[in-house]
Amino acid sequence: MLSSEAWVEAITARNVRAAARFISRIEAGDPNVTPALKELYRRGGRSRIIGITGPPGAGKSTLTGQLTKHYREHGLSVAVLAVDPSSPHSGGAILGDRLRLANHSADPGVFIRSMASRGRLGGLARAVGDTIIVLDAMRWDVVLIETVGVGQSETDIMRHTSAVILLQTAMGGDEVQAAKAGIMEIGDIFVVNKADHPEADRAVRVLEEMISLTQMLCPEKMWRPPVVKTQSLSGDGIGDLVEKISERFRFLESHPDIARANRREQVAHRVAEILRDMADRRLRESPGSEVDSMIDDAITRGTDPITIAERIFSQ
Amino acid sequence: MESVLKEQKIRCMLGMLGTDVHNKGIRTLAQLLRDAGIEVIYLGEHNTVEGMVDAVIAEDPDVLGLSFSTASYVQYVERLCTCMRARGVADVPVMLGGIIHQEDHATLTGFGVKGIFGPGSGLPDILAFLQRASASRHVE
Repeated sequence: MLSSEAWVEAITARNVRAAARFISRIEAGDPNVTPALKELYRRGGRSRIIGITGPPGAGKSTLTGQLTKHYREHGLSVAVLAVDPSSPHSGGAILGDRLRLANHSADPGVFIRSMASRGRLGGLARAVGDTIIVLDAMRWDVVLIETVGVGQSETDIMRHTSAVILLQTAMGGDEVQAAKAGIMEIGDIFVVNKADHPEADRAVRVLEEMISLTQMLCPEKMWRPPVVKTQSLSGDGIGDLVEKISERFRFLESHPDIARANRREQVAHRVAEILRDMADRRLRESPGSEVDSMIDDAITRGTDPITIAERIFSQ
Repeated sequence: MESVLKEQKIRCMLGMLGTDVHNKGIRTLAQLLRDAGIEVIYLGEHNTVEGMVDAVIAEDPDVLGLSFSTASYVQYVERLCTCMRARGVADVPVMLGGIIHQEDHATLTGFGVKGIFGPGSGLPDILAFLQRASASRHVE
């Protein structure tokens, strides 16, 4: 085990092997990573972090591959964090995103890491936040976070980045679905993928209408999310998407108050998440027999769940 | 309460090298392992030795598993193990499956291969190997 200083030094020098091992420790919930993580956070803030989310099969991995290719051709270094769902039954997972990014595998300007969601609501693994800190401290120009968007729980990604690309397929869902899922608030840029589909133009129109409505209701948002049509297999529309992403970052730079409000919300959310983890840990580390006997006591109304929680929390 | 180590999931990378296209075995294994609670990083077929070692470095798996159905596996495995040593990831245990001949076993383990699972080996054998291999790797 390296010292915290050695971890920080290796990671900020973009030692991929060290960073990869460090991310494994984050995933394993190793508390020894904490001092290094604190320092790495202070060294970060330079990478452009972009979230990519959407329903399964929308083409997220392929689009991530196309964006990576585009940024590489323009001389930018790229890190990809690809999150895939864990099986709710076994807890296992098949992480297959490297398959679609295979042509970057021998390029030192690209770092790809796969991660299983490990059953968290919101579609993001608990390790995602800390892994972003590592990638940011490595100073990749662009960090792409590709997240599993199962069902309607895609919102977590906006806790990590102010540039979220929300993918829709041409055939995916009607107006009601979009409104119900509350996805309009998540996307900073909307992408209708599989643009050759006969329904693609209709999907774009529906999205535009929804965006207009959202703008009317929340005029203080200032940013009107653009809708881009892409064909992630052929790469059509990727240049257009890259331009919209740049526009989004230019907007944040020219509206520091909005950027700051976003960041405040993200950091506050992260603090709350860490607090919850600390409470979980406290519970796990409490002597099982003591907790058990308190629980038994509560069943016969001798104590109550609130008192038990208070006692564990104040230990 | 629950063990603090419950997050200690086993991450197993599976892939094929070269022009081998018989991916049925390794795809089936990927699904069986997932159903046994393993996180499988699936690389598919047509990988190069260098590309695969890059993936090992970035993903930091507990085990690397390869499947072969062509006769060239001895050369491929030798190149892979040499490359892993050169790039500092020889501590990741390598296991082989597919059609591996008995008379090559000694040569392959000589290169550094830790497990060989030919036809007839069952999922419990592979799972036991993964558990042993990852446990020895987490003790540093």
